[in-house]
Amino acid sequence: MMSLKPRNVDFTETWAHLKETVAGVVGLRAVERSVWNTRFSDVYALCVAHPEPLADKLYDETRNFLEEHVQGLLQRVRGTVALDNNDHNDGLLTRYVTAWREYSQGVAYLNSLYSYLNLQHVKRQKVSDAEIIYGSSATVTCPEHDARQLEVGELGLEIWERVLVKPLTSALTGRIVNALAAARESPPDPAHASILREAIHSTVQVRAFRVRAPLQLYQQLVLEPYLTAAAAAHAKLAAELLASGDVAHYTKHALAGLDREISLGARFLDSSSAEAVRGCYERAAVAAHLPALHATVHQLMKDAAADLPSASERRVDLRRMYTLLRPLGANALRPLVDAAHAQAAADGQALLALSHNKDEAHTHFVNAMLSLHGKYSKLFGEVFGGAQAFVGALDKACSAVVNSRLPSDGSARAPELLARYCDALLRKRAGGDADVDDKLAAAIVVFKYVDDKDVFQKYYARALARRLIHQLSASMEQEEAMINRLKAACGYEFTNKLHRMFTDVAVSADLNAKFQQHLRDNNLATSTGFFIQVLQAGAWPLGGAMAPLAPPQQLERPARLFEAFYRASFNGRRLAWLHHLCTGDLRTRYTPRLYHISATTPQCALLLSFETVDVWNARELRDSLQLAGDAWHRHLRPLLDAGLLIATGDVGSETEDDTSADATIALNLAFSCKRTKVRLTCANAPNHPGGSSSSNSGTAAEPGETAAHCDDDRKMYLQAAIVRIMKQRKVLRHTELIQEVVSQARGSFAPSVAMIKKCIEALIDKQYLERAPAALDTYSYLA
Amino acid sequence: MSGEDCDPMDRGENDGQKPDKMFTLKKWNAVAMWSWDVECDTCAICRVQVMDACLRCQGESKKDSYGKQDCVVVWGECNHSFHFCCMSLWVKQNNRCPLCQQEWSIQRMGK
Repeated sequence: MMSLKPRNVDFTETWAHLKETVAGVVGLRAVERSVWNTRFSDVYALCVAHPEPLADKLYDETRNFLEEHVQGLLQRVRGTVALDNNDHNDGLLTRYVTAWREYSQGVAYLNSLYSYLNLQHVKRQKVSDAEIIYGSSATVTCPEHDARQLEVGELGLEIWERVLVKPLTSALTGRIVNALAAARESPPDPAHASILREAIHSTVQVRAFRVRAPLQLYQQLVLEPYLTAAAAAHAKLAAELLASGDVAHYTKHALAGLDREISLGARFLDSSSAEAVRGCYERAAVAAHLPALHATVHQLMKDAAADLPSASERRVDLRRMYTLLRPLGANALRPLVDAAHAQAAADGQALLALSHNKDEAHTHFVNAMLSLHGKYSKLFGEVFGGAQAFVGALDKACSAVVNSRLPSDGSARAPELLARYCDALLRKRAGGDADVDDKLAAAIVVFKYVDDKDVFQKYYARALARRLIHQLSASMEQEEAMINRLKAACGYEFTNKLHRMFTDVAVSADLNAKFQQHLRDNNLATSTGFFIQVLQAGAWPLGGAMAPLAPPQQLERPARLFEAFYRASFNGRRLAWLHHLCTGDLRTRYTPRLYHISATTPQCALLLSFETVDVWNARELRDSLQLAGDAWHRHLRPLLDAGLLIATGDVGSETEDDTSADATIALNLAFSCKRTKVRLTCANAPNHPGGSSSSNSGTAAEPGETAAHCDDDRKMYLQAAIVRIMKQRKVLRHTELIQEVVSQARGSFAPSVAMIKKCIEALIDKQYLERAPAALDTYSYLA
Repeated sequence: MSGEDCDPMDRGENDGQKPDKMFTLKKWNAVAMWSWDVECDTCAICRVQVMDACLRCQGESKKDSYGKQDCVVVWGECNHSFHFCCMSLWVKQNNRCPLCQQEWSIQRMGK
């Protein structure tokens, strides 16, 4: 056992022994364990030698030895080849890697042999990582000229880089770059591949211990020259591809090239370079040819969307194109997005323009939009992976198509058609559709694209009112579900009135039950079936058409009973009868066959007037029923048309409000009809001021009126929005105000700037706002 | 509505009555509309129609579900009417009718 005590050591002698072993270790020759142990102690002895520690001397000698050794390796690696011919198969790389394997391994062993020196001597003067990164007076100079000592393993690597790699830099670079180029063309055999990989990775490992710029050598020696060479190769390849075939050919091979390049990089280069390799390829092979690629996207998009067998191939081409363009950023993709938008919009217009049955316009419209949306959602999902930009393009296209206006009529028909579509689905039908729920849910897809949601709401509310009052709904669950869907899409305010209407119907059912109970309790039962719906004012789009009527005595009694009951049940409420919406079921007794007549209350009153009299003077009849103005004609006309009543003389017409004094109306005692059920409706009141008399028949006369209605509502809405905004902001510039108003209104309609300006003017007139005295384009709020 | 033909009953009833009856009224589906019995249909406090919920309630019902008509009308002895919600806040500040300055006392409540 040797003593740990510091002693006098003969440096020359000890170093001579040690040097021999060191040479053996770095040359990877066998070293006996006992020798190794002795040398280990020698290092210790030198480091703690008495009277002077000899560590520095040992360090210097070791460095000198290693430098010499590497010098020798350099000669071995260089061999006899001409350095500047850059032939990667001339054996230089192989010799380099062999030497590197041996040396790096040897130096690692050496490091452990010198572990005492490393630990006790070098570590103590080592600068901390923080000092290296943030700099200190000691690290200003570059590490190569740093006088401070490195651990022996690190020293060995440093010497390798300085003594061996430096002189060979250009030779190594040239060979590595050429070898990589060859590997791109055809994969090298495994032996060559591993030589190449190790040569490249040695440039990383040799500096791996450095905190600062560990990849510097790799970048200078391998990566940068490689990328320069690769860029040229990619550019040439891309040019050839474009010259030799169409864009499909190009995208296919360019994409394959990209994959090849990425896997080449992954196989041979450091993992940190993946981005750089990819970027280099994209710049050289794709970005340089953007104009040529962009020129083809419209046609490609068109072909991909076509219903042809070749479309699926074009879709693959398009997906490849997208894969190539996507990494290049939004600008490179823009033409593709634009093409997607244009294609969807054009297709949508074409679908809408397909010929269809006029009566089925609503179904045609919604189905066309749904198939457009479905088709392109699928296509864009498949080709572009549902990328946001393309979803946005589809939304824009759908919105443009949905809200497109024909030059012939000024307003978009979407709100009306969509409301009719919903109405048709929600109505009772003979067949009973199984997938009504799905269809209604799909209608919401179209609804979301409608700009004029407020117009839709008007049509929908009117149709809903008709269904509820005349009990035409197929299912109340469906009605409620649809209202909830609209609410989810547009918010509480949008469906508030719809919901109130819906609630009224539910409340009425309850009310009827209570009323019947009340009648039974008080022995007031009537012979007539009586069912009532009590609607709340303000929620129903029924207009003010409350024509007066003196109801016949048969109706008077239940009406009075109910009024009394209602007054007792509620407080402070006024009840008004909407006779034009009430229907009565009559049965004829004077005809051989029994007819069931379903008619409005005024019509029932008209018929019941003939209970005791067969012929009435027209004017007297009118006066006795207090049927005023056009209500008289609207209710009488269907009775005459059906043949239940017969008029002699001029009873007046819709346009001419005069009933001549001697006109008579008689009950047609010989009435006969093929069907036993006669359903009478009341004619439309096209010119009735502000009143849509909720008749059963079509919407033909309504659009113009609805538009006018909507305009008024919109003005109110805009004025309210302006006041809200101004109340909060006090002072606001014109353009900002317009922007805020538009963004608030977007949920229910797209307001025109002209209309907003008008509303601002109106508010200035009403002294809600004023123009700020100093600045012309600024408004201020007047509290 | 026109579908239910309870003929046996129907006949019995009619045979017992006057044979010369021209029509029988089988059923009446009535529709009526109710509104608060007020002189002015706008609440002078919140400027919303009394048939609609007051501003405050409209704002709150956005959160919970709609449905019941909770926002009723109240009439004072002076016969002026307001949303009950609006008025109950008003009287905390000033126990007078905002329209006629009479001492406020409730005449009746809507139900």
